[in-house]
Amino acid sequence: MVARLKRIWGGALAGERSSQKPPGWFDFLLLIGVFGLFYGLFHIAGQWSSVMRAKVEIDLSPWMLPWYTFQSLMRGIFAYVLSLIFTLIYGYWAAKDARAERILVPILDILQSIPVLGFMPGLVLALVALFPTSNTGLELAAVLMIFTSQVWNMTFSFYRSIQTVPREQQEAAQVFGFTWLQKFGRVEVPFATLGLVWNSMMSMAGGWFFLTVSESFTLGDQDFRLPGLGSYMQAATAQENTAAQIYAIIAMMVMVVSLDQLLWRPMVAWAQKFRVEEGGGGEVASSWFLEWLQRSHLLSRAQSVAFWVGRPCARFARTVGRQLKGLRRSMVRPAFPLADDAAASNSRSHPVASAFSLCMLIALVVLMAWGAVELMRLLRQVHLQTWEEIAASGGITFARVFTAVVLGTLWTLPAGLIIGLSPRLSRILQPIIQIAASFPASMLFVIVVGALYSCGLPLGFSSIVLMMLGTQWYILFNVIAGAMTIPADLREAARAYGIVGFQRFRILYFPAIFPYLVTGWVTAMGGAWNASIVAELMTTKAGELSTVGLGAMISKAATSSDMPTLAASVVGMSFIVVGINRTVWRRLYRISETTYCIDK
Amino acid sequence: MAQPTPLCEVKDIVQDFRRPSGQTLRVLDGVSLTVNEHEVVALLGPSGCGKSTVLRILAGLIPATAGSVSNQGAPLTGRNEDVAMVFQSFALYPWMTARENIEAVLRAQGLSEDKVKERTDQVIKVVGLTGFANSHPREMSGGMKQRIGIARAISVDRKLLFMDEPFSQVDALTAESLRSEVLDLWAPVDRNPSSILMVSHDIKEVVYMADRIVIFGTNPGRIRKIIDNHLPRPRDYRSPEFLQLVDHIHDIITGMELPDAAPLAAATPAGEIEQLPPVIPSEIVGLIEYLEARRGQEDVFRIATDTAREFGEIISVVKAAEVLDLVDTPKRLVVLTAEGRKFAKALAEERRSIWRSCLMSLQIFKTLHAMISRQPTHEIDREIVEETIILAMPHEDYARQFMTIIAWARYGNMLSYDETTEKVSLSEGNGTGNGGSHGSTPAPTVTPSA
Repeated sequence: MVARLKRIWGGALAGERSSQKPPGWFDFLLLIGVFGLFYGLFHIAGQWSSVMRAKVEIDLSPWMLPWYTFQSLMRGIFAYVLSLIFTLIYGYWAAKDARAERILVPILDILQSIPVLGFMPGLVLALVALFPTSNTGLELAAVLMIFTSQVWNMTFSFYRSIQTVPREQQEAAQVFGFTWLQKFGRVEVPFATLGLVWNSMMSMAGGWFFLTVSESFTLGDQDFRLPGLGSYMQAATAQENTAAQIYAIIAMMVMVVSLDQLLWRPMVAWAQKFRVEEGGGGEVASSWFLEWLQRSHLLSRAQSVAFWVGRPCARFARTVGRQLKGLRRSMVRPAFPLADDAAASNSRSHPVASAFSLCMLIALVVLMAWGAVELMRLLRQVHLQTWEEIAASGGITFARVFTAVVLGTLWTLPAGLIIGLSPRLSRILQPIIQIAASFPASMLFVIVVGALYSCGLPLGFSSIVLMMLGTQWYILFNVIAGAMTIPADLREAARAYGIVGFQRFRILYFPAIFPYLVTGWVTAMGGAWNASIVAELMTTKAGELSTVGLGAMISKAATSSDMPTLAASVVGMSFIVVGINRTVWRRLYRISETTYCIDK
Repeated sequence: MAQPTPLCEVKDIVQDFRRPSGQTLRVLDGVSLTVNEHEVVALLGPSGCGKSTVLRILAGLIPATAGSVSNQGAPLTGRNEDVAMVFQSFALYPWMTARENIEAVLRAQGLSEDKVKERTDQVIKVVGLTGFANSHPREMSGGMKQRIGIARAISVDRKLLFMDEPFSQVDALTAESLRSEVLDLWAPVDRNPSSILMVSHDIKEVVYMADRIVIFGTNPGRIRKIIDNHLPRPRDYRSPEFLQLVDHIHDIITGMELPDAAPLAAATPAGEIEQLPPVIPSEIVGLIEYLEARRGQEDVFRIATDTAREFGEIISVVKAAEVLDLVDTPKRLVVLTAEGRKFAKALAEERRSIWRSCLMSLQIFKTLHAMISRQPTHEIDREIVEETIILAMPHEDYARQFMTIIAWARYGNMLSYDETTEKVSLSEGNGTGNGGSHGSTPAPTVTPSA
């Protein structure tokens, strides 16, 4: 299996060469890549610190695209790093402190339901005020907007993983006196890694989806535009330059494919070592790039250099550390043989840590209270009429979201079953689907809307198609995953008793994948709500094209800087999304955990 | 002999666990135990008797609800720094190689890097896994994994080695060799580990390994008896003294778990509800069939060996059959009663009616039957049944007791239970109200005796 995968992915690119060894030019390319990266970063740093330009003129020449794409890529990666840091801290805190958990998890639930434009005005105003002269404020605002469309599912995944570390593994760490940091680094993070990698892939894709919104936005009478791929697409659309639109789509494709091959595939392959389940079986992911990296002469050279430089440094650091520890120990209590201050951190929560956690929690609650007061002040200015409008457009958008999910299910359910039930198909198609899913459908919106408009379909309906384009993948992925886990004996039984066609679907396939389907629906629906802000309103050369809906309302309120309406409509959307999660989805989850649970 | 030096100790500890439903269950009640220098102590008992909990309290992994815990004479707060532990499921980190698993633990002790390497090499050699140092746990068999677990535990050089069912997930032959290897590691008096505290449900294993055997009973966990084992080492499984001690322990366990006094149903005062062992009916039926095939009787430990089950589990099944009056337990024997024989010979339909009449001689089923019959809808909520159970036995896990009652009643086609509505009702066509009579449904009103 592994060998075959290697042949497919490695062989295709390495030509006749064995996939074991990288070709000679690999090191050369690697070197160029590293230097190029540094040069680009250096250039970006210069741009951040330069004088603030709110609106950059976008050059639609295709030769400028690599530079724009690189800048967008770096924004995405920077946002991802922030997401990761946030995830590690917030997820750990929520999982470890039962008191904090009760507040942190609902907050996360609410934050997840707020579309990116809900954060936009606050972020931009605050950061521009913080850096009034340089570009840093604006750039940071864009990065943070991308961050808000990446981070939440990663945090949830990490939080859940930490909670499910097997009990005896935790006890072993405790008995052998791991410090909290050792436990974090050697037990908890490794345990969470596999889930985190998959969620990171999804998050990155989510970030690209709102790239246009994050890079070019209007706030009141002020237009903001940062140089990047999203702005390029926006400018191309505004000028109805079809060629430039196609260039932008190609650039995005190149970026998504390279990220997949150079970053995510290697990450997934590397993360396989954190699998917890025993025994072989299942597909082991592999990556040609990772293998080449591992066998690269240049890297092994660099590694040995780092080793010779690093080891004495590490040794020095350890010596100093030990002396400090010894000093502290001699002050605190008599030394034990073999045991050092690691022993002092017993597992029953550390008083200092617990006090710190409490302080942070109080600070958070105070902040929230302040936020609530401010929000109330804003909401008080909202007319009853606006509330009615929110309710009505919320209903319309809900109908669209619901239809999008239903339509998405209609084709992904059979397609996913066919792919998932055939090991050959899933092996070939899954990497392709992963790439297709990472491509932000928002880039295609204008073209799709145009095509549907000429067929006589107004935006009110075509926005359903747009939402579907963005979120159907979540359902497809989950159906495939579910179909792949249907136990062989259940399938054999169905075959043995001659259960075929729709009968088999009804009594075997559908119940077996139901839990996965529910997960897919939840994610897709959340995504569809968020997508409504770009699907229900768009700017073309002819002017603004919009339809009635909560997404359009949020977009309009944000661009016209109408804070009370923005706050009210975001609260409205959040209320609906969280409400549906708490009622419908929670119930479906319970059903899927009891009635449709296979492994019992 | 000089007065033994105590290493760690619990006195009168009580342990309560709160279930998610909010109910508090008492797992340990008034347990006192001392582990002295240079001895092997084994905690023996059926699963669920709290013996692993005692181990975890002494290791400082969980605080006791009440009572005192001390180590080297000082009260224990937090982790016990003299304890190294070997786990039932090995608890190796799957993302680290065998070597890295040990190194990680040694680094946590603050050893220098050279020392870490040296010590790791040393312990890997001791457990004989030099060739597998760079393998991941998922590539290893259970026995090899436990070897790494043992290497990790001895690497930290602690006075006490705790082992929680260390060989129950290792194949029988490997377990055999691991037992003697562990004893070899323990034997030198001047070296750590000084003492071993182990948890087991395998009687031969503890007789082979331990100097002191602490026998636990369930509901709640209590120490029933402590036996000193002075057999000379190395011990021979087939020596008469060894077998005699095993036999003695068998007697103790049957004496306390299956007393020869009146069976439980009769011992329960009238009107009070009996506690049902959490066993499914097919196991009880299986036991009856097993006994029938052996002329109606067998030694309870022999049954456990034959069926490759933990003796605690077999004792539960025997108890359940005894509650139903299908078997009797003189000493260590399990004997079919007249009713049991009749049951064994009967066909499916008749078996159900015998079973039903056995159930109706138990107070809990009489009560439930009456409660449901009184309802106009002929059904009651699960909650009401559970409240009845809680009132009668506040310390029992009521959800488990409920499921046992339902399983038994379902087998006799007496009650049915709907999981979605959580309602209990009388099964259709079951012989209602015919109390202790053995007739099948419907009970004939007039039966000519001739």
